[in-house]
Amino acid sequence: MPRREHLLKIGVSGVRGVVGEFLTPALACAFAQAFGTYVGVGRVVVGRDTRSSGPMLQHAVTCGLLASGCEVVDVGILPTPTIQMFAGSSRAQGGIAITASHNPPEYNALKLFNSHGLFFNQYEREELIDLYHQSEFRNAANGQIRRATADLETPARLHIARVLKHVDVERIRRRRFRVAIDCVNGAGSLMTPAFLRDELNCEVHAISVDPAKPFPREAEPRPGTLGDLSALVGATGSCVGFAQDPDGDRLAVADETGRILDNDDVLALAVDAALGRSSGDVVVNLTTSSAIDDIAASHGRAVHRTPVGEANVVETIQAVHAAIGGEGANGGIIFPAVHLCRDSYTGMAFLLDRMAETGESMSALAARLPRYSRKLGKVAYEHGRLSALMQALEAHFPGARMNRMDGLKIRLPQGWIHVRSSNTEPILRIAAEARSEADAEELYGRVLRLFGEG
Amino acid sequence: MNRDATKSLRISHVGLRGVVGPGLTAARVIDFASAFGTFLGAPGAVVTGRDPRASGVMIREGVAAGLMACGRDVIDLGVVSTPVIQHTIRRMGAAGGVSIGASHNTADWNALKFFGPAGVYLSTAEAGELLDIYHLRKFDFADWQGIGGMRVETGTIDPYLDELAAVFDIAAIRGFCVVVDCCNGTSSHILHRMNRRFGTNFILINAKTEGVEFAHGPATTRDTVGLQLAPLMVPLGADAGFLFDVDSDRVALAAEDGTAVSEELVLPLIADYLLPRHEGKLVITNLSSTALLEEVVARHGGRVLRVPVGRQSAMDALATYRPEQIALAGEGTGAVMMPQFRFIYDGIASMLAILSMMKERGARLSEILKSYPRFSILKGEAPLQSRQIPALLAAIRERYRDGEVNATDGLRVDWPDHWFHVRVSQTEPVVRIICERRGDPPRELYDELVEQCLAANTY
Repeated sequence: MPRREHLLKIGVSGVRGVVGEFLTPALACAFAQAFGTYVGVGRVVVGRDTRSSGPMLQHAVTCGLLASGCEVVDVGILPTPTIQMFAGSSRAQGGIAITASHNPPEYNALKLFNSHGLFFNQYEREELIDLYHQSEFRNAANGQIRRATADLETPARLHIARVLKHVDVERIRRRRFRVAIDCVNGAGSLMTPAFLRDELNCEVHAISVDPAKPFPREAEPRPGTLGDLSALVGATGSCVGFAQDPDGDRLAVADETGRILDNDDVLALAVDAALGRSSGDVVVNLTTSSAIDDIAASHGRAVHRTPVGEANVVETIQAVHAAIGGEGANGGIIFPAVHLCRDSYTGMAFLLDRMAETGESMSALAARLPRYSRKLGKVAYEHGRLSALMQALEAHFPGARMNRMDGLKIRLPQGWIHVRSSNTEPILRIAAEARSEADAEELYGRVLRLFGEG
Repeated sequence: MNRDATKSLRISHVGLRGVVGPGLTAARVIDFASAFGTFLGAPGAVVTGRDPRASGVMIREGVAAGLMACGRDVIDLGVVSTPVIQHTIRRMGAAGGVSIGASHNTADWNALKFFGPAGVYLSTAEAGELLDIYHLRKFDFADWQGIGGMRVETGTIDPYLDELAAVFDIAAIRGFCVVVDCCNGTSSHILHRMNRRFGTNFILINAKTEGVEFAHGPATTRDTVGLQLAPLMVPLGADAGFLFDVDSDRVALAAEDGTAVSEELVLPLIADYLLPRHEGKLVITNLSSTALLEEVVARHGGRVLRVPVGRQSAMDALATYRPEQIALAGEGTGAVMMPQFRFIYDGIASMLAILSMMKERGARLSEILKSYPRFSILKGEAPLQSRQIPALLAAIRERYRDGEVNATDGLRVDWPDHWFHVRVSQTEPVVRIICERRGDPPRELYDELVEQCLAANTY
């Protein structure tokens, strides 16, 4: 059990917490009213993932938005990217997704979008938090209170149509791929099978596509949690397996042997696909694999590195007009021509299109990627110890190239190390990458020993 | 009502009420609903419904969130009258309910009323406990696996009409032409349905349910009846006219000759009809209601129990009697409870009782009303200076010591043919002054009292 203060977080990423004692309806309502006051009178799109606390929080959020004088459009259970796209294209003042993404089921959170359907930037977030703390909300009188309506159809249609514009749909349909999916009973449970089956003519074998049921596995889609998908791929002879997180923005992929690909490799495949069809650079965070640099170089493009966090990647994509971006370990692919957000649907479409184009299997495509070994992990630290740890780390590698944009990234001849503190908990996240597995292990081990953990 | 809207909020034993926005806010609604969810003991869902005010949806969302967070399933009936909510709570065996609506207040107001199992208003003791939980703000929220859901239930009007039809012969009153001023409220849905189902002839005005502005103030008084309803009686050849407040728990009436009838007459009229038909002979009303009631009740060998003003006092008194002892309960505001529908003030049931009486006696409404001795009532108010109230009441008591004194709610003094009642309002910062006399209005007494109450401000 995390410490009490970590059960509720009101900060840069909105509101996140354990529902009940910590994330209460009153808090959600007040935050929504602050949001409504901030974005101004107009329409606000509200949707959610499948968490059991979702309906309750949606009522609280709707209450706060109506009280602020906003009109509320309920889009029901939908992936976060779908909600973002609809918020950005329906003349709305903004949007709220009620989802704690990959966090465990007892958590929930409010993700906040502006009128372009983008996550609030740092300055917007700070203004909103100030407004929330000041509690000076607009309180609409009876004559100023607007309607609450629902549009459960348009957002998914809009999202799918946008994704399909960027792949060769006929080429994919002709192959009639056999695809295994695991939607973790999350927000993609209905939309993902329909997308693959009806739009891309896949033969779909699905598990965990009941939005009324709880998450059957750990919510974050990564190699350690996707045994059922691997088994499904094997049992059905599928040529690829896709797994989403509860709010459908992150994607994990299994090849035809059931092996779960490293999330950095999934991003690398998507980057390769995107650079083949659109101009512009690549934006990834500091922890993302150097494979991206090699692929970009092969297309003659540059890579821009950012601090960890979707908002940071998005802001830099905007600034440099990049073709694609993402965050490797987080399973996030951001293709701005569809929308400036993490989108698992773009990822699925790109990978299927790549297989259709090359005629190669998923394992063969992955095998052709530049080979790096990665080791990721985390250690807890006590408050007050952070700076000493980071200084010790820096002193340990004299003469190495250091990047201090987000924690410390140390470049070494055999690879690199990235150590940063989490935004949400007092832990240090450690990543090490090298050409060989032994080197990656060695770099990672060295950091652990330095922190007294090895 | 020219009160400062930012000071309109009142949280008390009867729930919470205020002007939405400056007074009644989303945060208060959520906290109060969370308190109610914490308070409720009985298992089961909670029923919600609302009148058509635009703010009602916002408040419903907050009420649903608070209750669901406490682990309650919510059954929302949409825009329905308060009596329909109460009937539905009982019929569904729900743990309780919430009615969202400010009944006789203007459209900018809203309020929440709370019911326990069987649709009964909370007793004063229960309401006190609810208030304590609200003020403590320590709520029993469920964990993520225990959070409730909400479902929408339409079609609750028909089962409600079934229950009315079991008590009244609705087919028998089909011949009456009845004009109804719905005040843009929930009665219009019920009466539309009654016309279709029973072939009754209710002609509805202000029947469009409105969220933002009502055609006129929805108070069930003679003055409101005089605005649009009474002038239609003769031109339309109507047999009777009724006016409902927005959530249809109160009623006022117009006679077929175009007279706007005093709201005070509703209770005596229904008492006159019900007393001979029921074993129970006790009528519960408040200290401000007309003395005609005693006369009418005495004709049928009944007895009147007068309690302090306010729904809470009436309901508490009611709870201390066995159901078969009670003939009816009500107020001079047109809120009447029939013995068959215990604890439910219902304007529609009241209307059916009056129409049934007309049918049974074969008499016009004006004729029935003329069979009662004439009483004249004067009602007024003075601004409240709370600190001066004890001195004011003592001075008035001293001045009128030849009468019979009742000091359970302000001061009521009775003489054989007249009485007055001076008390502090529970809903507005005013002193209410009510005088009544058999025959002509007690103008002099009234003026004296108003003068004293105004003078109290300069003590």
